[in-house]
Formats: sequence, structure tokens, C-alpha cells
Amino acid sequence: MLDMTVQSIITGLMMGVIYALITLGISIVFGVLNVVNFAHGDFVMFSMYLSYMIGTALVWDAVQTPLITIPVLFIFGFIVYYLIIDRTLRQMYVVQLAVTVGLQIFMRSMALIIWKAQPRALQYSIIQGNIQIGPYTILTSRLVAAIISLIFIAGIAWFLNKSWAGSAMRAASDDLDMASLVGVNYRRTYALTFAIGSALTAVAGGLLMSFQQTDPVGGIRFGFLSWCVLALAGLGSIPGLIISGMIVGVAETVTITFFDPRSRLLVIYGIFILVLWFKPRGLFGRK
Amino acid sequence: MNHPPKLQVNNLTVNFGNLMAVNNVSLEVYPGEIAGLIGPNGAGKTTTFNAITGLIIPSSGKVFFNGHDITGMLPHKICRLGMSRTFQVIKAFAHMTVEETVRVGAYNRCNEKNVYKKVDQIIKLCDLADLRDKLCSDLGLAILRRVELARALATEPEMLLLDETGAGLNQTELLSFMDLLRKINMEYSITLLVVEHVMQMVMGVCSRIVVLDSGEVIATGNPESISTNPKVIEAYLGKRVPQCY
Repeated sequence: MLDMTVQSIITGLMMGVIYALITLGISIVFGVLNVVNFAHGDFVMFSMYLSYMIGTALVWDAVQTPLITIPVLFIFGFIVYYLIIDRTLRQMYVVQLAVTVGLQIFMRSMALIIWKAQPRALQYSIIQGNIQIGPYTILTSRLVAAIISLIFIAGIAWFLNKSWAGSAMRAASDDLDMASLVGVNYRRTYALTFAIGSALTAVAGGLLMSFQQTDPVGGIRFGFLSWCVLALAGLGSIPGLIISGMIVGVAETVTITFFDPRSRLLVIYGIFILVLWFKPRGLFGRK
Repeated sequence: MNHPPKLQVNNLTVNFGNLMAVNNVSLEVYPGEIAGLIGPNGAGKTTTFNAITGLIIPSSGKVFFNGHDITGMLPHKICRLGMSRTFQVIKAFAHMTVEETVRVGAYNRCNEKNVYKKVDQIIKLCDLADLRDKLCSDLGLAILRRVELARALATEPEMLLLDETGAGLNQTELLSFMDLLRKINMEYSITLLVVEHVMQMVMGVCSRIVVLDSGEVIATGNPESISTNPKVIEAYLGKRVPQCY
């Protein structure tokens, strides 16, 4: 019993870091542009399919595929920003909502047309196998995925704090008018933010493909998951984001272990609702 | 003044629906001077500032900066040309430290290599060295006014527009702020246009004053002539009723 609990917590923690990586994308876009990208989960789905295609065509391992998918998704993010998001910025919230939900449906339908409904998975990953510590098993693929996710999260944190573009993004997030009056080009900053948010899903997609399969409706799952993590974390704290990802990850695996695997979404949304109810700004959210 | 004006505003008009916020305002600011823009509440001072710095597009009229037409240009481009501003309400980057805030401005002219040198210089000038790692949301009004000035100065402007920077400061803070303004005007030869309610500050630092009332310019002149101008007194205090006592 104890072994099972610890085992599921270990697995959950590692999944949680990947969830945090996915959520980081939606979080910076929401924080800077004040737009909730409802299609974010479908960006993950799209990245996973790209990883699948690259992995099959070039006989690459899933964890290598982000080398190509990161630039692709980065450019894709730029295009989506200038084509769709930029026009909705000065509109009502409901317009932004309609546009990103529309994008979500569009991407899902395109995936259904291109890749059909059948789930796809890559062959074997070079990081198969597991590490045995006493009675506990750590799947190497998850561990590697968690470590790479942490590296990317730390990289983004550094970028936001130290670089020119990162400072501009944070300034635009705090006060857009003032940021532009001291020389920040808001459109370029917004486009870059959106593109980075999109590129992060490429990393997550590659990592997820090393141990999961993808299907066209999988995007919704990641979309919902990332909102839950975001609601739990609130805006502005990257350590808070990692912890929140871990909480959701652990809640998920513990539910799968001790209840019905089908009830895991119930638990995740249970947390979501409770957080919105009692702590609408999240556990770590800034004022 | 034989120099061509640094800032020239020609027949600027801003309408909000039926409300004429700024009506046919023309004014000039010459290189190196500290000009004041005063007027009672609702006279259109801040709207004039917003139209000059590109935050709102004027309904008609032109704004020239160094001879360039900057009417309706995006704020960051105007900033790149050498004009920045501060606000009447504090608009600090609440979740950033003082140093980071100044750095955002400094990137206007600097790259990653020389940005810290600029930040150090500005922080020293504005006397913020002890507070550089403090979050802006933790600081008080008087200090935030200096942080905002530092952020604007970091963009290396040729001209600064200051919107009620004296509001809410006590006597000591006000005097040291006035010293700072004179210093950046003299040593860095930055032209200033200040909107101000605090008369001590206007009379103390400005060499020329433009008075707005109900969106129109009612007087222009040096501080002495403005303070005795009947139209200005009327705008502030109302019309004198001759037969009253």
C-alpha cells in the first residue's frame, strides 16, 4: 500500500513537471497578452504529430524531434499571432475566446483529416528502461522528460529576468502603455511571447511522444490540464507553476492507482473548481 | 528664441465623442528650456500629453518633434526619436525591481553589453542605488516618482514630458525633485515640458508657461506675467463680480 502510494507519487511528480512546461506557454501568453489561448492544448497535439512524422521519416528518437519542431512551432506561433490574435487584441474578451476556440476546432479537424482518428505512436525510444530504487521503479523516459522540461523552464525564467526581450515582455505585462512610451514595440513583444509559448509546446510534444501516443482529440486533454495547472499556480511565479504541475500530476496518478483510471479527470477538475472557488488568484499568484 | 522649436504643436484638437477635450491648441517648446503647461482640472493637459506622445490619435492638428511630423506615430517610435514621458498616476512596473524597470528604458538605446553601465549611471543620478533590488510595488510614492523619471531618462531622451510629478510630494521631497529636474535640464540638456498643479514647482523651475482652460490656450508667458494675468486668475478662481461689496 505504502509502496504503491510512493510509486504513484514519483510518477506523478515527473508528469507534473511536463504539465508545468506545457502550462508555462499558456501562462506567459495570458500574462503578457491577456489572451487565453484555448487552442494551446491543440498546439501540443500538433507538436506530437509533427514529432511522430519526423520520428518516422528520419528514424529519429522522440526526444530528438524538438530540434526540428521547436523552430517550426516558433514560426507557427508568429504566423498565428499576426494572422489571428493581433486583430483581436483591442476587441472584447468574447472575440478572443471565439477566435482561439475556433482555432482549436480548426486544428483538431485538420489533424483528423491529415492523420485520421487512429492514435499514433513512435516505435521505441532510446530512453526505454527503468531505474530501480528499492521497491520503486522510475521510468527512464519520464525522468529524462522531467529533467529536460526543468531545463527549459529554467531557461525561460532566465530569459524573462535577464534578457532584453524578456524585460520587455514583463514590462508589457505590467503596463503596456508605459512600456511603449519607454521604447517597447508592443506588437513585436506580443508576437515573440506567443511564438515562445508555441515553441514550448514543441518541447513538450517531443517529450510526451517518447512514452505516449497521440490522437486528434488529445489536444483538449492538454488544454484543460494546463488551465487547471494555471488556475492552481496563478500568474507570475515559475516555482509556483512547477509545484502546481506536480500537484496535478500526483493527483492524477494517485487517482489512477487507487480509484478508477477513468475518474482522473474528475479529480483534476475537482481541484480546478475548488481553487477557483477558494483561491481565485491561485496558490502562488501575484497580487 | 532664434532656435527652431524642439516640439511644435499646431492646432491640435482631440474630440471624445461630442466632448472637445483639446480645442485648437498650438504651442512650442524650445531646445533646452523648461516649459510649463498649467490649467485647472479638466483643461486638457493630460489629453494634450497623450496626443503628443502617441497614446491617442488627435482628431486634427499636427505634432512636430525636431521638425519631424510625429502625429499619430506609435509611442515606441516616438520614444526612439528621443521623447519620453511620465504619468500623473504612478505607472511603475509593479512586479519588477527598480533596476529591471530602469533597464527596460535603457534598452531603447543600449544593447545587452552596455545596458548595465547605463542603468548604473541613471540609478546614481536619481539617487536610487540603495533601492535597486526592491520591487516597485513595495515602494512609496515619492520614490516611485524618481523611479519613473529614471526609467524615462534611461531611454536617453532629448525631451521629457512630465505629468504632475510634484503631486503628493511633501516639501522636502518637492525641493529635491525640483533640484533633480534642474540638474537633468542643465547637465544633460534635456528639454522639459511639465504639467503641474503645484505652483511652487511651476514658478520655481519653468522659464515659460502655457495656460490651458477648457481645452484652449488662454495665455503664454513667463511666470511673473502669468501669475498676474487676469484671464488666468479668472480661469482658476472665477470671474470677479464688480459690485460685490
